[in-house]
Amino acid sequence: MMVDTKDAFYVALRDRLRTVNPERKMLVRGALRPAILVEDAEPVSEKMPRDVYVLRWTELGSDPSLPETMAITRCEIHYCTVGTEDACGLDRGKVLAAMDADLREILKPPSTPGMNYSSTPATATGVTVFWTEPLFSPTKTTRDSLERVASVTVLARCVEGVQ
Amino acid sequence: MGADVSVRNSSQAAQRAADALLRSLGGASVLLRLPSSPCITDGDQLGLGTGSYADLVLSPAVFRRSRAAMHEGTEGGWELLLSASAVEAQVSTSQLDSAEVLFAQAVSLIVGTKTFLIEAISASEVFGRVYLYRLLLREALPKAQ
Repeated sequence: MMVDTKDAFYVALRDRLRTVNPERKMLVRGALRPAILVEDAEPVSEKMPRDVYVLRWTELGSDPSLPETMAITRCEIHYCTVGTEDACGLDRGKVLAAMDADLREILKPPSTPGMNYSSTPATATGVTVFWTEPLFSPTKTTRDSLERVASVTVLARCVEGVQ
Repeated sequence: MGADVSVRNSSQAAQRAADALLRSLGGASVLLRLPSSPCITDGDQLGLGTGSYADLVLSPAVFRRSRAAMHEGTEGGWELLLSASAVEAQVSTSQLDSAEVLFAQAVSLIVGTKTFLIEAISASEVFGRVYLYRLLLREALPKAQ
């Protein structure tokens, strides 16, 4: 269930990004696709890719006050930019702000149907995946790069009558 | 002061010299592992192991320790000196734009039976033409026996 929750969250954000900002693309492993990836599903890299949303799954937990079937996990969305070459990087603040705005946009609405992607075609699991409002970290400046991390808690619950 | 506009013709001399040096130092072959097809499916992007990979042979190369492990538990690094002519040939065969694209697509590098991850890449060039690549590598964690 947890795997399906994470997968559905990523696919929802990826598909929304394709609509919200079709120009925000990246070339990874021979494919041109929306500039968002799951860190643990891509080749290891020493540097964070620029102008790309990188999803890092961190905490895993449960809340005894919630139903037993509730899956709770935390996702950090890392992104950084050095601006554009055309502006010699002097627009990096604006580019980061645009990334903030796009991220806010693709996180709305804060829910998506759960899917199981281990089979082809993907099948609906009958659960609803939803998440909290993003918490944005202060901007971190490393040389010419501006970096930020947005954190959301992702949850999944069973739809009534479906296990 | 004016710019230096003297003509400097690019030639393959440096590449040939580098290749000869690498061969004289062992001239090993290494394998660069790349996705054999673009990762366009959801499974590829979600780490469901549905992708397929192909190995490109790169030779001549010299593989060696780059620094000693001075502290217990510290991993030593590895260094690979790689022929730029071999890389150019694979870039052309794979119909890629540049060596940077080739290395960016690589998921790992295989030397003998061991798998390594690429940590950093630098290129040595003369008259704008690369004759040698230097790759810093880290050994992928071995599987438990």
